[in-house]
Amino acid sequence: MPDDQRVTLKVGFAEQLRDIEVQLPAGEPKPWDARSELKVVGKPHPRVEAPLKVSGAAKYTHDIVPPNALWAAVLRSPHPCAVVESIDVAPAQSQPGVSAVLALVKPGERVIFAGQDIAAVAAKTPEQAEAALRAIAVGYKTEPFVVDTAAAMQDGAPLVHRGKVTERSTEGDEPGAGGSAGQRGNIRTSPSMKKGDAHKGLRMAKVSHEATYTTQVHTHSALETHSIVVQWDGPKAATVWCSTQGIFSVRDEFAEVFELKPADVHVHTDFLGGGFGAKFGASAPGSRMGFIAGELARQAGAPVRLLLDRKEEHLCTGNRPDSRQHVKLGASVDGKLTAIHVVAHGSAGIGTGAGVGRNAFGIYSRCPNVLVESHDVFTHAGPGTAMRAPGHPQGAFALELAIDELAKKLKLDPLDLRLSHDEHPVRRHQFELGRKQFGWDAGRKQAAALRDKQARVRRGFGVAASIWGDFGRGKAVVATVSVLRDGSVEVKNGLQDIGGGITTVVAQVVAEVLQRPVEAVRVRLGDSELGPSVGSGGSVTTASVTPAVRAAAEGVKTQLTALAAKQLGRKPEEVTWSEGQARAGSKSIAWAELCKKIEGEAVVATGTRPETYGAYPVKFMGGNSYQIAGVQFAEVRVDTWTGVVAVERVLAVHDCGKVMNPLTARSQVQGGVILGTSYALTEQRVMDRVRGVMLNPNLETYKIAGARDVPRSIDVVFTPVDTGANNTGAIGIGEPSTIPTAAAIACAVHDALGVAVRDLPLTPDRVLAALGAVPTRGAG
Amino acid sequence: MQPFVLSRPKTLAEAAELASASPQDSALRAGGIDLIDRMKEGLEAPARLVELRWLGEADREVLRALGPGDERVQIGALVTLAQLAAHEGFGEAHAALREAAGSAATPTIRNAATLGGNLLQRPRCWYFRHADLVCLKKGGTACLAVAGENKFHAILGGGPSFIVHPSTLACALTALDAQVEIRGPSPRTLPIAELFVTPKQDSKREHALQPGEVLVRAILPKPGPEQRSGYAAVKEKQSHDWPLAEAAVRMSLRSGAMTDVRVALGHVAPIPWRSREAEAVLEGKPPSEALFAEAAKAALGGAKPLRDNAYKIPLAQGLLREVLHRVAGVPLPE
Ligand SMILES: Cc1cc2nc3c(=O)[nH]c(=O)nc-3n(C[C@H](O)[C@H](O)[C@H](O)COP(=O)(O)OP(=O)(O)OC[C@H]3O[C@@H](n4cnc5c(N)ncnc54)[C@H](O)[C@@H]3O)c2cc1C
Ligand code: SF4
Repeated sequence: MPDDQRVTLKVGFAEQLRDIEVQLPAGEPKPWDARSELKVVGKPHPRVEAPLKVSGAAKYTHDIVPPNALWAAVLRSPHPCAVVESIDVAPAQSQPGVSAVLALVKPGERVIFAGQDIAAVAAKTPEQAEAALRAIAVGYKTEPFVVDTAAAMQDGAPLVHRGKVTERSTEGDEPGAGGSAGQRGNIRTSPSMKKGDAHKGLRMAKVSHEATYTTQVHTHSALETHSIVVQWDGPKAATVWCSTQGIFSVRDEFAEVFELKPADVHVHTDFLGGGFGAKFGASAPGSRMGFIAGELARQAGAPVRLLLDRKEEHLCTGNRPDSRQHVKLGASVDGKLTAIHVVAHGSAGIGTGAGVGRNAFGIYSRCPNVLVESHDVFTHAGPGTAMRAPGHPQGAFALELAIDELAKKLKLDPLDLRLSHDEHPVRRHQFELGRKQFGWDAGRKQAAALRDKQARVRRGFGVAASIWGDFGRGKAVVATVSVLRDGSVEVKNGLQDIGGGITTVVAQVVAEVLQRPVEAVRVRLGDSELGPSVGSGGSVTTASVTPAVRAAAEGVKTQLTALAAKQLGRKPEEVTWSEGQARAGSKSIAWAELCKKIEGEAVVATGTRPETYGAYPVKFMGGNSYQIAGVQFAEVRVDTWTGVVAVERVLAVHDCGKVMNPLTARSQVQGGVILGTSYALTEQRVMDRVRGVMLNPNLETYKIAGARDVPRSIDVVFTPVDTGANNTGAIGIGEPSTIPTAAAIACAVHDALGVAVRDLPLTPDRVLAALGAVPTRGAG
Repeated sequence: MQPFVLSRPKTLAEAAELASASPQDSALRAGGIDLIDRMKEGLEAPARLVELRWLGEADREVLRALGPGDERVQIGALVTLAQLAAHEGFGEAHAALREAAGSAATPTIRNAATLGGNLLQRPRCWYFRHADLVCLKKGGTACLAVAGENKFHAILGGGPSFIVHPSTLACALTALDAQVEIRGPSPRTLPIAELFVTPKQDSKREHALQPGEVLVRAILPKPGPEQRSGYAAVKEKQSHDWPLAEAAVRMSLRSGAMTDVRVALGHVAPIPWRSREAEAVLEGKPPSEALFAEAAKAALGGAKPLRDNAYKIPLAQGLLREVLHRVAGVPLPE
C-alpha cells in the first residue's frame, strides 16, 4: 500500500483557474482536474438502457408478477380525525378470492389524516381485493380537525399531535436540515439561521420592503406510484421488489420490521418510474407499505403485490409542504442590503420538514444581517417529505420576488442588486453570462414599454438563483469492476438508477479508465447483493458512486498493467496504455490477447470513495463541501384580459462540477425546469376546509404541466467547475436545477405587470386580482 | 370498478329498450370516456353497459352521419370530437363548432369522445366526483361547494347546485342555435336550450333525457350567406385541462352591422349560458372595440360569484371580447 500522497490539482472555472494541493488517502487515484484530458467522460452519450425502456422490455416494480402472486389493497380513513371505536375485518376474510386480511388500527386509536391506513387484504384479483375492503366494518367517532395552515396556527385550533413529535428523516432530506427548538400547539419551531442582527439592520434601513408570500402543497406525482412486491423465501428470508430511491433503505426497514438479518433481505429495483424524494424505505411516508405487503404475504403464504393507485399516491406518499413566508428586507438608499428577515410557517401535514431552505441565508451573503426563522405547522393532512431540493423552491420564490420588489423601490435593475450581494464567483459569472445570452437588458426595456402602454399582452423578464451543497458521500459505496478472460468488462454496485442516467455515466467512467468502448461495459445495478451503495437523495448519486467506480477500475487496470508487464518482459512502471493496448518500449499487447492471459476467470477489484477533499472556490454553509451555483432566467407572456401566464423561455445556467455526460445532465436540468414551471403555474393540492379531504387526488384537477405548458424553449448552459471534491470531479445537479425556476417566473410576472403576484401557483384568478380586475365581494 | 355485462345490440330500438331500466341497472356507452371514469371513481356501478357503437348498418349510419342533409347540417350522436374538429364542410359559418371540438380535452380523448356523450356527460364538480361525499346532486341535503372550494363553480344561474356545465360542444351548439333529435318511447326534436335542465328545475340532473331515450343527432339550421362564428376557452393549463370559461359567438355581418347575433358562455353556469343581454348590445350595430367591451360587461352583469370565483367575471369578459374581435374581424388591441 502506498502512503498518503499530496498532489497538485488545477481547479476553478472559466478563466479563473489555480493550483491547489490536496492530501489524498492511500490508494486513491489522482483526481481528474482541469488538466485532465478525458476522452469518454464529459462527452454526450445516449442512455445505455434506452432501448429497453422504449421497447417496454425494462421491468419496473409494477411489472413484477411472481408466480401465484396476490393483489393487496388498503382501506384508508375517510376522516381527517377520528377515534376508531370498532373494527371488524372478519367479513373480508370470507369474500371470494381473499387469502389474507389485516387490521392496521385498534379500537381506541386515533387516525389523524384522511388516507391513513386502516386495514388491508390480499386477494387473487384487484376487483376481489377492492370488494373485500368494502366488507370491512369500521366504527369511527369523528373529532374536530384542521387542514388549513393559517387556521392551525390559531390558539384553540384542534391539536394534531398530542405529544412530542418525532422527526422522520430520510436520505432525501438536505444534510444538516431539521431539528427542533420547541413546540407549542400545532407549531413546532425549527432552529433558526442567524447572522449579524437583522432587527437592527431593518431599523437602520432607509428603504425597506415587507410582504407575505405563500406557496402551495406540491405532490411528487411520480409516474410510477409507490409499489412493493414481497416474496418470502422461508420464514427468515425474503425477496423484495420496490419502487425506491434507496435499495438499502428498503432492505434495512424490511429487516427491522420483520426482525430479519439485513443480508437475508434481497431487494431489487431494476428500473424506477420516477423518484423525487418520497421513495425511501420499504414504506411510504404516510403508509406502512413494507409491513402491509410483508405481513399479508406471510399470512397468505404467497407473494403479494401492493401497488398504490393515483389517489393513494396523492394522499399518503408525501408532498412538498406549503409555506407562508413573511419577508422583510432593508437597504440603504444606494441599494446596499442591510437586513434579510424571513419568518416562515409551513405545513407538512402530520409530518415535519416544512422549512424553506438556505436561499435567504446563503445566497446574497454580502448582506450583513440575516435571520431566517421557520416553523412547522401541523395539520390533519398526509405527511410532507423531502421533495426535490426540500424547502428551496419555496424559499427562493419568497426571497427572490421580495428582492425584485425592493429593487423596484430602489429603482435598481434587480439583476444588478443581486450581483452586488452575491459573493459566489461562479454564480456571479453565471449571472453575467445569462444577462448577455438571454438579452436581459433589452428584454427589461421591452417589458417596461409594454407596461407603460398598458398593453393587453405583456412580456416580463425575471431571474433567480439557486444554492445547494456537494453532499457526495464518502465511504458509502463499494463498487466492483471485473475484466474477464474473454475481454468483457463488468461493473457492479447495489445502486438504483432513478432515471437520471447513472447507468450510462458508470459505464463511461469504466470505459475511460480501461480505454474500452462504452457499449463494451456491462453495468449491473439495482440489486442489494451487488455491494453497498447510496440512496439517491440530496443530489449525491453521481458524486458518491463514480469515484468508487473509478477507484475499482483503476484497481483492475493496475493488475492488468502488472500482467502486461510480465507478458512484455518489462517492469509495470514502464507500461503505458493507449487505445486499449498496453505498451512498453516498442512492444505492445492488445486487450483481447492480454485478457486471455488472465489466470483464473477474471481480474476483479473493488473501489471506495474517501470523504470529500476539495471544495474550490466556495464552501457551502461553512462546511467542507463545495457550494453548487446556478441561476435561471425566465421570460413570460401575460394576457391581462384573461390572466393567463405563458412561459416563453427559460435559460438555466448551472454548474455540476465536471459534467460527466452533457446529454443526461441537460435532461436533468430540463426536468428540473419543467417541474419548476409546473409548480409555478398550476400544481396545487386542494383540501376541502369543511370536510378535511383532498378534492383533487387525480391528474385531472391536480394539474401537472403538459406539452403546451412547458417553456417554449429551455436552454441549458453548464459552467463547469473543477472543485477537487473527489477523483472524478462530479457533484450534484438534480436538485439545484429546480430551485430557481418558479422564483424566476414569478419575478418575470412581476416585471410584466408592475405588481407582484405573491402566491403560487400563478393562476389567472391571482393575476387578475393583482391587476385589480376582480370585484372583491362574493355572494354566499 | 365492479364487473358488468356488456351488451352490443344491433338496433337502436333494442339499445333503447336495454337502457330503459334504472341507471343502476344499465347505461348507454358511446365513447365511454365519462361513463367509465364515473365507474372507476366508484360513483356508479351499472350492471349492464349498452354499446351504441356496435349497432347494425342502418342505425349506425344515422348515428355517424356528418354533413348536409337537405339545407341543414346533421351531426350524428356518434360523430367524434376529432371528426368535428377536422370536418372540412364547416366553413366560417360553423367555425365555432370546429374550434370547440378541437379545443376540448386531449387528442386521444377526442378520438373516442362523441357528440352525444359530450352533451350528456355528468358534471366535473369535485364534490360530485368524490366517492365519499354526498352533496345535493347525489341526494344529500346541501351543495358542498357553497361553503367549500368553489373556484371552478358557477357565477351565473347557480343554485341550489353550482356546477358548471361541462360540455364544450353545448356552448358552441347554443351559439349556433342547434336542435337535437331524441328517439325512444316519445320521439321528439328540441331546441338545444331545452335539452338542458337548470338546478332550480331539478338539481339531480343536467339534461331532459329519460332512461331508454337516445340522442341520435344534432341539427344546425341553414346558415345565412354572411354567417360567421367562433369559439375560444381560457384554461389554467393549456394541455388537457377544463375551461375556466368559454365563449362562442355567431353573427352575420351585413352592410357593416352585426345581425342575428348569438352569444353563449360556457363553464360559467349550470347550463350553457346564452347571453341575451350581450346580444341586445350588439344586435344591429357596427362592430367596435368599445361596443364589445360594453357587450362583455352586459353579459356578466347578472353574475353572483361565490367566495372564490369572482375572477371569472373579468376573465369571461376578456374572453368574450377576444372572441367578438376575432369573429367580427376587428383587430385586437396590442
Ligand atoms: C382530462 C379531460 C379533459 C376534458 N376536457 C373537456 C373539455 O374541455 N370539454 C368537454 O366538453 N369535455 C371535456 N372532457 C370530457 C369528454 O369530452 C367527455 O367525457 C366525452 O365527450 C364524453 O363522450 P363519450 O362519447 O365518451 O361519452 P360516454 O362516456 O360514452 O357517455 C357519457 C354519458 O352520456 C350517455 N350517452 C352517451 N351517448 C348517448 C346517446 N347518444 N344518447 C343517450 N345517452 C348517451 C352515457 O350513458 C353517459 O351517461 C374532458 C375529459 C377529460 C378526461
Ligand atoms: S355544485 Fe352541485 S354537484 Fe357540486 S357540490 Fe354543489 S350540489 Fe353537488
